[in-house]
This record gives sequence, C-alpha cells and structure tokens, in this order.
Amino acid sequence: MIELLLLVPLVTALLCGLSRNERHIYIFSVAGAIIMALVAIPFCYEAFFEGPIDTWLWYMDSLSALFVVIIVVIVAMVSVYSVDYQRHERTEGELTIKDLRYYHSLLHIFTLTMLLVVIVDSLGLMWIAIEATTLASAFLVGFYKKSEAMEAAWKYLIICSVGITLALLGIILIYASSVGVLGEGMDSLDWSVLSSVADQLDPALVKVAFIFIIIGLGTKAGLAPMHTWLPDAHSQAPTPISGLLSAVLLNCAMYGILRIHLLAEAAVPGFSSSLLVLFGLLSLIVAAIFILTARDLKRMLAFSSVEHMGIIALGFGIGGPLAILGALFHILAHSLTKTLMFFGAGNVIQKYGTREMKDIKGLWKAMPTTAIMIVLGGAAIAGSPPFALFVGEFLILSGAIASGSYLLAGVFIALITLIFAGMTYRIFSMSSGTPQEGLPSGEIGKLRLVPMFLLAAAVLILGLFFPDVISDALGSIVDLFEEMIG
Amino acid sequence: MIDILGLDIINFLAAAILLISLLVMASVRMGQLVRSFALQSIILAAIAVVLANHTGSEHIYVVAVLTLVIKGIAIPRFMMYTIDRLKMRREIEPLIGIPASLLISAMLIIVAYYITEPLISSGEAVTRNCLAIAFSVVFIGMFMMISRRKAMTQMVGLLMMENGLVLAIISTTYGMPLIIELGVFFDVFLAVLIMGIFIFRINRTFETLDTTFMTRLRD
Repeated sequence: MIELLLLVPLVTALLCGLSRNERHIYIFSVAGAIIMALVAIPFCYEAFFEGPIDTWLWYMDSLSALFVVIIVVIVAMVSVYSVDYQRHERTEGELTIKDLRYYHSLLHIFTLTMLLVVIVDSLGLMWIAIEATTLASAFLVGFYKKSEAMEAAWKYLIICSVGITLALLGIILIYASSVGVLGEGMDSLDWSVLSSVADQLDPALVKVAFIFIIIGLGTKAGLAPMHTWLPDAHSQAPTPISGLLSAVLLNCAMYGILRIHLLAEAAVPGFSSSLLVLFGLLSLIVAAIFILTARDLKRMLAFSSVEHMGIIALGFGIGGPLAILGALFHILAHSLTKTLMFFGAGNVIQKYGTREMKDIKGLWKAMPTTAIMIVLGGAAIAGSPPFALFVGEFLILSGAIASGSYLLAGVFIALITLIFAGMTYRIFSMSSGTPQEGLPSGEIGKLRLVPMFLLAAAVLILGLFFPDVISDALGSIVDLFEEMIG
Repeated sequence: MIDILGLDIINFLAAAILLISLLVMASVRMGQLVRSFALQSIILAAIAVVLANHTGSEHIYVVAVLTLVIKGIAIPRFMMYTIDRLKMRREIEPLIGIPASLLISAMLIIVAYYITEPLISSGEAVTRNCLAIAFSVVFIGMFMMISRRKAMTQMVGLLMMENGLVLAIISTTYGMPLIIELGVFFDVFLAVLIMGIFIFRINRTFETLDTTFMTRLRD
C-alpha cells in the first residue's frame, strides 16, 4: 500500500488549503509532515532490507528508499522551521493568511511530486513527476511577488522546462533503444523491465539518450554550466524553501540521472561515467569561482549546492564500490548539512534584514545559538572533519585513488581546498566582530532551533560513527550498482 | 509497415513542420507568431492521424486529438487573449536580427541531421526524416527562446520544442505508452497556464514583458 505515502501529503495539502485559521494551518502542516515520515518507515525498511516493492505503477528499491528517507526527513524539518519563520514575517506584516494557506498547501503538493519522482516504475512517469516538481515549486520561488522574485521564478520555470524537454528527448531515445529487445508495449519504459535487459539496449541510441539526459536533468540537478537558474531561485525563495530546493529537489533530478546512468553503463560501459566526471569537475570549478567572490549569503550557499552536486556526480562517475558508497553517503550528508545552513541563514537574514555578508557582523554577540549552529554547519559544509560531508568526500577520494585516477584526485583535492578556504573565511568573518548599533540581541523564536539542533546532531553523529543501519542500507544500494554495472 | 503513399504524405507534412518553424523564427509580429505556431500544431496532429491510420497504433489518434485541441486551438487562443488583455506591443523585437536568425536556424538543421545520422541508418523508413526534423524543431525552439526577448515568445519557443518532441515520439516509436502521453500533455498544459499567470504578474511588477529587464540577479 505504497499509495498511502502519497495520500498523506495530498490530504495535508487539502487541509492546509481549506483551513481559515493560522494556528490550524501550522498544526496540519507539521502533523502531516511527521505522519508522512512515520508512514514512510516500514516501506523504506522493506525496500532496503527485503528487496524491491513492485506493485502496479510503483517500484521502490533501495536507491528509491534513500531518496524517500531524505525527502520525508527534510520536509518534516522544513515544516517545523516554517512555523517560526512565518510567525516572524506575520509580525512584520509581510504575509496574509491567504499567503500562508497557499504556502503550506504548495509545500505539500511539492513534496508529493518529489515522492512520485522516486517511487514510480516507468521512466516516462518519472519525467512527468520531475516536470511537476518544477511547476509546483515555481510559485514557491516567486512567493514574495517582488520584482526579483518574479525574475527568479520566471528564469527557474523557463530554464528548467527547457532542460526537462531535452530530458524527455533522452527518454524517448531510451524507449526507442528498447523497442528492439522488448517490442512495443506498456511496460517497455518500466525500470523493473528495462534494468533486466539493459545490456541489450541499442548502444548508439543509449549514448545520445544519455547526453540529452545529463544536460536536461543536469539542469535541474544544478550541474554547471546549466546551473544558472539555481542561485537566483535559491536566493529569492523563502529560506525554508531554499533549503528544500537545495537538499531535496536537486537530489530528485540526480536520482533520474542515476537511473539512466545505470542503464547506460550496462549498455555502453564507460561512456556515461566519463560524462558524469566531466560535469562534476565543471561544477566544482564554477562553484569554487563563485563561492570565492560571493557577496550574498544565500547565493553562496546555492553555489555550495552546485559544488556538492558536482562532488556527487564525480563520485558516481569514478565508480567502484568505495566511490559509489561515498557518493550515496554524500547525498544524505549534503541534504542534512545544507538544510541546517539555510535555516541558520534564515535566522540571520530575518535578524539583520539583509543578505549581504559584509553587513552581517558579530553573530556570536547577537544570536549565540544560531552562531554556534552556523559555525558548526559552515565547518561541515566546507568539508572539515569530524562532520558527515568529510566522510563522503574522503570515500570518494579513496575511490578515485583506488581506481588509479591520481590526476582526478589531485584536482578534486585542490578544488575542495579552495572552496573550504572561501567558505570558512566568510563564515568566520560573519560570526566575529561587533553587530551594528541598535540590533537587539537574542534569537527570533525558539521552535525553529529544534530542527536546527536535530540536524546539527545528525551531521555530527554521522561524521563520527557509521551506524550499522546506514552502512547496511547504503551497502544494499552499492550491491544494486555492482549488479547492474559489475 | 507503411506504404509509399503514406510515407510520402508523412514526409511532406514533416517538411511543412520544419518550414513553419522557420516561419515562426521569421515572424515580426506577435499575432503572426502565434498563428504560425497554431498551424504547426495542426499539421503535427495531421501527421499523427496519418501515422495512426497506417500503422494501426490506435492510441496515436489520442495524441492527434490532444495536439489539435490543446496546442492547435486552446493554447493559441489563450495567448491571443493574453496579448489583447495586456495590450502588448505587437512587434517581436528580436535580440538577433531575422536574417541572422534564419541563418543560424539553417545551421541548427544541419546539426540535427548530423546528430541523427547514426541513429536513423538502422531505423525504419519513416523515422529517417522525421527524427532529424524533430531534432531540428527542438533546436530551433531552443534558439528562439534565447534570441527573442519577450516572455511570450519564450513561451512559444518552449511549445515549439514540445512539438518537436511529439514528432519524435510518434515517428520513432509509434507512440509511447498512452498514460505517459497523457501525462506529458497535462504537464505542458499546466506549464502554459502557470507561465501565463507569471506573464500577468511580470507585467504588473515590471510594467513590461521584455525579459532583458530581468538583470537584477547576478553575481
């Protein structure tokens, strides 16, 4: 009954859209997100440890389960954080009750579309769901209706739609490549069918298909040089939504790339991996340049997402059990850390009323708890030990060395060191110094610190220990990769 | 699988689609642009009917009807309504002049034939021209989005890309599974509606639909 997982966000969206009372909207939204997370547990457990769930339109294996876990956890955090965030905006008089209804119901519709992306069987339906994520989130990006937000939303809509159109061309070609083996029929785009005949697909078609897929879905996943919508959308969206875009939406597109990568790698070994490495490196280079020159806090975090998506693509491109394990772990770690950072940025921006990093000084004095979170999160996002992202980067690096790509490993180290320097410099210059005159000290709201605390704890714990549950779960995905490519 | 007559008709119609995408590129007025796009969608529907008739894949008829109703009639009407309602200026104001645009489009067509060359040598007769033309239309649509500055023309460019896709779908595979085709049409329809809403909002906040004004966000 995997439909139950989809029903929860749908009902939540309806309830949020229908309630007339601010309090009720918050209660419905948070309760819905938490119920969804609870409902997801048994499905994910089954998919990780007992084999794929394959019913009707749905297919959930361990790879899907990883993304489901990320979606439900981050959405729960975002819905809790949104409460305090929006209460503050309400007191500033920026939001009406209508805006609140609209925000929370779109938030859950958006969640629904993202869940659909990772649990449908057919690649065609996956495409439809990915396009639906763009449509559902465009209004969230343009939520503030100011000219900058409009600009960001229009760019987001147009650039991602073009990307996704190219991706559909890729999926059509995958379909065409399978017709020779499977004949025409309802199920020849189903992953469960395609994966069993992946090595017999027409290689010429698969190659061209993967090029279209990586350009098309790469646009949505934020891989350079197709990332141009990303910093605009992330900086203009309400901050909890920026976190959601960065931590979950990009991953959903990456999930699509991975599925086709698995097929392509089985049909034409080596081709899709080298493209992933190429786009991964490009993303790292672009991110390094823009992180070093960033002035806007949220834009810097957005470029850091480009960086981490690049690292993930690089990990899968390098291949081999170590690098794949590293990339999978990195997906999880990046989602948790980036959400923490966006939440911290949200606190800071609401407090200081600006996103310009040069105007933000003296966090330690103005808001000590947030400052601790931002310094921890900043060290984590820059990739320093003992946090989770370091483990991911380390595994990918070991994978690169194990597979003999020394040059690649060297370039990788150089780039992440550069980004590390840029990020830590910015974070520490924001936290030190004295705050501007007349800024009252203290946090805005207590409730918003709860999800931040949980995320910080998770990032630290995952960095220090590698719990058995996680290593078993990720191990089952690595087995899937080995089985397909190996 | 398809007789010579059917093949000739399909090739003729596909060529017409390619020519119309050049006509869209060469349009100087909004009305002309929207009408050319509508004509292209109608011809696409006609190809779908011919293909459905000759291959016996009946669900392609559904594609034909949806293309005709949504892209041939509903969306062009909606666009004309928006143009009238917002009292848009009728001129297109290209960033790249029309002669240069046509030249670049011709180059894109050559690129499309070049890319599809290895794919079509093994394929069936019907896919040979159609796939190359489909790629050309997708590329020209994309170029249109880059080279025309109004929000509305960007929307038409996107829809032209989608037309190219539908041509690719029906010619290479004689139709994807029906549920997927329906979903694709639903998404396109929704995308156009949402873009329409944004066009109204952009008009209100910027007091223009010229997207070159959108340069506030940069590093």
